[in-house]
This record gives sequence, structure tokens and C-alpha cells, in this order.
Amino acid sequence: MTRRDFSERDIHMALDGELPGEERMAYDAWLEANPEMKAKSARYIADRAAMRAAFAGVMDEPVPARLRQALLGEAPVKASAWRSRWWLSAAAAVVLAVGGLGGYVAGVDSIARVGDDDQLAEQAIAAHVVYAAEKRHAVEVPASDKEHLQTWLSNRVGLKLVAPDLAAEGFQLVGGRLLPAGEQGKAAMLLYEDAKGERISLFVTADSSATSKGTYTAEGGGPEAVYWLDKGYACAVVGSLPPERLSDVAKTAYGQLLAGISS
Amino acid sequence: MDDKKAAILSEIPRLRRYARSLLRDRDSADDLVQDCLERALVRLDNWQTGESPRRWLFTIMHHLFIDQMRKVNRRGEAAILPLEAGEAQAAPADQVETIASREIMDALQAISPDRRAALVMVAIEGFSYAEAANILGVPAGTLMSRIARGREELRGLLDDSSRRRSIRIVEK
Repeated sequence: MTRRDFSERDIHMALDGELPGEERMAYDAWLEANPEMKAKSARYIADRAAMRAAFAGVMDEPVPARLRQALLGEAPVKASAWRSRWWLSAAAAVVLAVGGLGGYVAGVDSIARVGDDDQLAEQAIAAHVVYAAEKRHAVEVPASDKEHLQTWLSNRVGLKLVAPDLAAEGFQLVGGRLLPAGEQGKAAMLLYEDAKGERISLFVTADSSATSKGTYTAEGGGPEAVYWLDKGYACAVVGSLPPERLSDVAKTAYGQLLAGISS
Repeated sequence: MDDKKAAILSEIPRLRRYARSLLRDRDSADDLVQDCLERALVRLDNWQTGESPRRWLFTIMHHLFIDQMRKVNRRGEAAILPLEAGEAQAAPADQVETIASREIMDALQAISPDRRAALVMVAIEGFSYAEAANILGVPAGTLMSRIARGREELRGLLDDSSRRRSIRIVEK
């Protein structure tokens, strides 16, 4: 077994797979003998797992059409307002990090509000895409614990939430979860399933200042969102049902939600 | 589709992931990837068939990223301020993120671009030190110190945000 002094540097090397194999045993022994270093190593391992998890979803996203087109030249690339300006966002991040530019930050905030409805629909769709596909981890609280689910989500979101009864539409509640929404807000997601396993989700948040309603589908296709925004609450119903059917289910769900909120 | 383009196409998800960790905002990250793809197309002849397109593409993208960050720094803050509506940094929540993911993404944005790139390259993208040093165009020793400092900085920032979060919970 090699004998040498290890240091913090070796923690990084071990973590990154750069520690020579023959030193591994001696390193492990050193780690065991140094609780402080062992704790540091464990923390870095946990942070790395969190970093990987935070960006793992990107790998599953479909390649945006514009990138495919840029590469294959299948269609003329339309220059968007963003094109080649990505560094402005990087610059904005620098500015924000520097701080002291309150007026500017406030400006960005008010601009971001313009797209409230799109933003809501996109968040609801993203949540649906991620969680409705999960078999065992689709919800945090199952329908069997409905009372608790409603109380918990109501408290977190700040609205009196009653999970709509969609049995007449053929859908049963699977459960729900809490999600981030907008800048600071929280949203409740309620997941429903029909006999064939088709899933739809309700996305409800109190973080809304605009009034609007409509339907929304992402540029590349995928599930559709039917949404309503009002002052103080917003709701979107997302699913891949035929549009008319989704619209019917959404209206039923919205009616019941509204009755619950204002009860 | 020719083989080279097919090989590049299969690298896009990784390029997007790397760009997202560098820039946070989804549209901006995809713009960086698009710039990278366009530059790669122009230089297709520089790439030897048989060689992995991954390192080649990451190198191109990293150069684009660092060049722009330098320009931004040189230009200073004043020139950056008059953003038009469509160009303002979009709310980061254009994608569902757990609190933990959001904190990690924010913390990554707060560390210096050089350290961020080095750390992400090794910890998320899985490049070896030699590969990452090569892509970033720095000596291995520099890469290692960036990784070490980046990790330490990230840990401190995450501790700060979890402390803030527990304060908020206590306040309620």
C-alpha cells in the first residue's frame, strides 16, 4: 500500500476519478482517520449529486426545432430577438450580482409580468410533462390522504383548495404536489388519471396579477394547457386529450375550484 | 443527413445542459448552443472524422462563452443597461424547478464564470481533468484550483441560501 500524505486536494481528485487506483485504499483509510475531511468529502459528493440532478432534466428535453434547423439547414433560421444576444443575459446576471441597481431589477420584474399567462401555461405544462410521466413518484401526497393534501396545499399556496371531483369525466384523483411558481410563488399540482391511464393535471397558484384566459401549446407540440388567470389566483388544466374533451374537463374542474376558493 | 451532422446532432442535449449551467436562462442557453452549432458548421473541415465531436464542440462553445464574458466585462455595466423588453432576462422559472435545483442553479451563477465552467465540465459533464483542461485551454494545475475553489464557493453559497430559507420558515 502506498504511503503518502493526503490533503484536501486529494478529496477533489478522488471525487473526480483522478486518484490513481493504487492509492485508493490509503486514501480511504486517511479519510476514516480524519472526520473533518470525511465530512467535507461527503458534502462535496452531495453537492455534486444535487448539481447533476438540477440539470438532468435538460438531457430529456426534445432538441428545440431551431437548433435542429441551424444544424441541418432544413429551413431558413429566423433571427429571434434573442439571437446572439445570449450574452446580454449573462451580462444582466453580472449586473444583478454586482447589485445596487434596484431600478433596473424592478424594470425586469415589470417586463416579466407581461407574459404572465404564457408563463403560467408553460410552468403548468412543464410540471405535467415531468410528473405525469412518473409512475411511482408522480405525487408527493396520494389521493388516499386527500384531506391532508387539501389542507397542506391550501396553506402553502394561500388559497382554499378543494380537489375537484372529476369522476363524471372519468378521472380519479391520483394525488398532488407543491411546486414553485412565478418569481416567488408556489403552486399546487393535482394529478388525475382515467381508467386507461391517461393523465391530466391541474396547476393552481395565487401568484397572479393579470386577468386572462386561453389555451396554450408549446412551439414543438406536446400537451395543451387550458388556463384562467384572475387577480389573486390562476389555474391551468394540462393534458394530451383531444382539445374539446380537455376543454370540457377543464371547465368542470375550474368551476369546482372556483366554488372551493370562494366558499 | 451526413455522418458528421448526425454525430453533432446527438451531442446537442449535452451542449444544452452545459449551456444551461453556464447561463441559467433557457433561451439564452439555447442561443449559445445555436451560435456554437453555426460556428461548428463553418469549421466542419477542421474536425477529423473518427474523433469524438464532443470535445470539439465543447471547445467551440466554451470559446464563445468566454469571449463574450470578456467583452461584457470590458464594456462595463453602463452599456448593458438599456435592454429592450424582449431581451430582458426572463424569469428563471420558465421551467419547473425544485427549491433545491433552483438554489443550485442560482449558486452556480454566482461563482465566477471560469470556476463555474471548470466545475461543471468535470462534475456534471464527466470530462477528465486532462480533457477539461484541454477544452478550457488552461494548464491542469489551473483547472484543479478552479474546481477546488468553485466547489468551496458553491458550498458556502448553498449554506447561505439554506440559512435564509430556514429563517423564512421560522418567520412564518
